[in-house]
Amino acid sequence: MRMPSLPMPLPFKVTVTQVQYLLQETVKGLQRGSWMNWAAVSTVTVLLFLLGLSLQTNWQINSFLTQAGSQLEISVYLKPSVSGATLQQQIQQFPDVASVSLVPRDRAWRELLTELGTTDLQGATDALGQNPLVDELKIQAKQADQVPKIAQMLTNFTEVDHVSYLNEVMQNLGQLNRGIGKMGWAVIGLLTLTALAVINTTIRLIVVARHQEIEVMQLVGATTTWIYLPFLLQGILFGLIGGGVALTFMATARHFMQQLLQQQPVFLQVLAKSLQLSPTQLWVLPLTILGFGSFIGLTGSFLAVRRFILR
Amino acid sequence: MTNRILFPETNIVVPSSRPPVKESDLQGSAASYAIHLRDVSKSYRETGFSLRNLNFVVKQGDFLFITGPSGAGKSTLMKLVYGAERPDRGEVRVGGQNVANLSGNRLSMLRRRLGVVFQDYKLIARWTIAENVAFVLRSQGVPPDEIQRRLTPTLKLVGLQNKADCFPSQLSGGEQQRASIARAIVGSPRLLLADEPTGNLDQDNALQVLSILKKLNSLGITVVVTTHDLHLIKMGQAPVAKLQNGQLKLIPPADAST
Ligand SMILES: Nc1ncnc2c1ncn2[C@@H]1O[C@H](COP(=O)(O)OP(=O)(O)O)[C@@H](O)[C@H]1O
Ligand SMILES: [Mg+2]
Repeated sequence: MRMPSLPMPLPFKVTVTQVQYLLQETVKGLQRGSWMNWAAVSTVTVLLFLLGLSLQTNWQINSFLTQAGSQLEISVYLKPSVSGATLQQQIQQFPDVASVSLVPRDRAWRELLTELGTTDLQGATDALGQNPLVDELKIQAKQADQVPKIAQMLTNFTEVDHVSYLNEVMQNLGQLNRGIGKMGWAVIGLLTLTALAVINTTIRLIVVARHQEIEVMQLVGATTTWIYLPFLLQGILFGLIGGGVALTFMATARHFMQQLLQQQPVFLQVLAKSLQLSPTQLWVLPLTILGFGSFIGLTGSFLAVRRFILR
Repeated sequence: MTNRILFPETNIVVPSSRPPVKESDLQGSAASYAIHLRDVSKSYRETGFSLRNLNFVVKQGDFLFITGPSGAGKSTLMKLVYGAERPDRGEVRVGGQNVANLSGNRLSMLRRRLGVVFQDYKLIARWTIAENVAFVLRSQGVPPDEIQRRLTPTLKLVGLQNKADCFPSQLSGGEQQRASIARAIVGSPRLLLADEPTGNLDQDNALQVLSILKKLNSLGITVVVTTHDLHLIKMGQAPVAKLQNGQLKLIPPADAST
């Protein structure tokens, strides 16, 4: 009796040939795929772009809040025709106040006009009839938590027209940030479900279109893992491609914004600094986007082939 | 264990340390049968077709024809053996393993040890002939150089060495059937099942396929061929079993036509 034999198959050992085959099949799957592939990739792209944008905006606002928050400054705008010099002396006496500086309306007006790009001071003043600004006092508190108390005391002066301090601005900004955050997460949640559904349908259609091939593969002894892995990889590839495109969009948008801000008046340029991402964030952002993209792709495609794999 | 290449033209490797199987072994252990059907029943409710209490044995190294009229259940019998259908009752043992109990990866592993030639070829249209044949080995993790080493002689054996890079649609029926045979044998199976391998072929192609199957049998592979081609049976010079009315029985080859 003669017995031809192969070296005993090792079903769970993954070799270079196998990886090569799986990648080839995955790429072929994408090439062969119809418009459904593009539907899947674009849905994922939109999702990941929004996710990245929320994340980035959140970071930027936070960074702005921290930068601004360190200044502990209160601005006091006096009523027209009141001179700041005497009030400056008085406020200086407050125990919690570190320093008070006066911005006379004439200097403020000159600076504003310079920022706006005008040098003709007299012409601009004549056009308005007079200098429209008021004297301003800039007050540094010794401690951040005293800022609201000092601001409250300052409003009691009859000479004072309006008091504003960054905490107020920051509170508003913080609220805005949280508001955007909630809406963002709702939209991202909905888009995640949409992306899952589209990927699921796409992969399912491909599986159905290839059911004869799959049957043949089964008949010649290919394992379930082997047959369905390319579909899972294809799902992951949807996520990675979508993530790549989304990241490119975001980088372009950031670059564009920064260029735009550089052409703006000086006081807006401070913003440009907040828009920059820290070195850590520059890593975390792509990792999050690509990671989440792969996860969505894998989950969507797994849902599509689950009943075959878990059979 | 050291392997000895007995048949250089096919590169089929035979373990040299395996002792020859004695007749007493065949009787003593069910594991030595290539196929062992025990009280197998299978019916399709939709069509009312049924196979009833089949008992049958195919020994290692045999060449067997299974004949019978169209619709007698030849393909169904084959499917029971390669695990595409499950019996309602009974055991279908292939190399000692009950196919009816296998599923998932264990069924895949069994299918790697047998080759199946399908009547409708079942080649994958978007792959070349070489890719179709190599797939069997690729999915088993065989390294590329080893795949190449086996591919060339296998394609040569079925006379398709010049069509390796053609797609199935570019081949004639006979060539596709031979590609299907190449795929079935490239993994060096011990058992080859061929379901009407000449059903769609003219006389010349049919005889060519037969001679390939006979040659494989001479290399030690157990071969089971279903057919209703009397000429093929006559040329085949091999035992014939007839499937009729849900029963499978050995018959003298001369009676195949009745
Ligand atoms: N999947 C199926 N479901 C229901 N009936 C089937 C199925 N497959 C085959 N049959 C029936 O079983 C009978 C035998 O079919 P088959 O095994 O293909 O016969 P053969 O190969 O001998 O021509 C036929 O009458 C056919 O209609
Ligand atoms: Mg048939």
